[in-house]
Amino acid sequence: MLFVSSNIVVGIADMKMVRNEGVLVTYALGSCIGICLYDPGIKLASMIHIMLPVKLENSNDNVFKFAETGIPETLRKMEVFGAVRGRIVGKIAGGAKMFDIPGNGSLGNIGLRNIECVKQTLRTHGIRILKEDVGANYARTLYFDCKTGNGVIKSYGRPEIIL
Amino acid sequence: MEIKSYDEMNKEELEVFREIGSIGTGNAATALSSTLSAKVTMSLPEVNIMDYSTASSFLGGPEKIIAAVLVHISGDIEGIMLYLLDLNFINFVLEKLNLQPINSYEDLTDLDKSAISEVSNIIISSYARAVSQLAGISTRLSVPAMAINMLGGIMSVPMSEYGYVTDKIMMIGGNFVYENQEMTSNLIMLPDIKSLNFLLRKLGVICEQ
Repeated sequence: MLFVSSNIVVGIADMKMVRNEGVLVTYALGSCIGICLYDPGIKLASMIHIMLPVKLENSNDNVFKFAETGIPETLRKMEVFGAVRGRIVGKIAGGAKMFDIPGNGSLGNIGLRNIECVKQTLRTHGIRILKEDVGANYARTLYFDCKTGNGVIKSYGRPEIIL
Repeated sequence: MEIKSYDEMNKEELEVFREIGSIGTGNAATALSSTLSAKVTMSLPEVNIMDYSTASSFLGGPEKIIAAVLVHISGDIEGIMLYLLDLNFINFVLEKLNLQPINSYEDLTDLDKSAISEVSNIIISSYARAVSQLAGISTRLSVPAMAINMLGGIMSVPMSEYGYVTDKIMMIGGNFVYENQEMTSNLIMLPDIKSLNFLLRKLGVICEQ
């Protein structure tokens, strides 16, 4: 089922959507967060790979780079394809703190801010988080199977996690 | 003219960083030689400005496991330096320090990690000294932090730290050579954009209006 070459790769600051069948994957999430949004009613799945919490004013950056803008845009697109807001559920992974930098509070803490912002944004839009694997200090590769609505997390030196 | 992003640097400005890279690598090779009591030389370094996905695939793909040491620079300039070590180089260092060579990163003991982190710190400091001396500025370096994990995850640290200012990184790649054996050495140097302009002005590349 998983780990085949036909997987649909979600890049950094990117979003991909599939219907009925297909596996979405995003590689090596560090402080970034992978957000899977899924409407089981019509088997519509999307995955976003966000890098930062909020968009700065006047920036022309891609909306999927930020949690605050990427999530609503993805929900809007899903609804265009027939998803119903009340049915959409979320699963999230990432937000690690890769380096433990002594005596440097803010540096490398972006993961935590990402986690908070993703949760807050999902709550604001009424999306329930079914499962999560966030924080800690290791990178994660996230797979999401559209057929079953299940995710798998692979990481270095740790057993696989079913999300 | 002020620069707003890394890829706006012209040939002349890049040349300055190649020079910094060259002096830094030279310093690093000398420091390594004396630390490890082995005659280490260097090849001519390359300086590349690239985006993260290109850098990731250039270095072996986002899921490749790699050891990295990160140091925060402060003082006259602000930024991050990230030194990437591959298995070849790690084994060379371990051997020279009379420690057991390893087959995979999982075999690294705490002592090994500490030794590698220290050697990386020496290398990073050599580059920092090259920058400081050439530009006549003073910089401070934080205590080194080490991580062994997927390359993509490690790269996400500088990427998100400077995500609002740049999508590009500057990578100084040079090889250390020991008895005809080449070992890759990659340093990612990321002064923030303000510091980059400050540096280029100090070095006389950007002319005052």
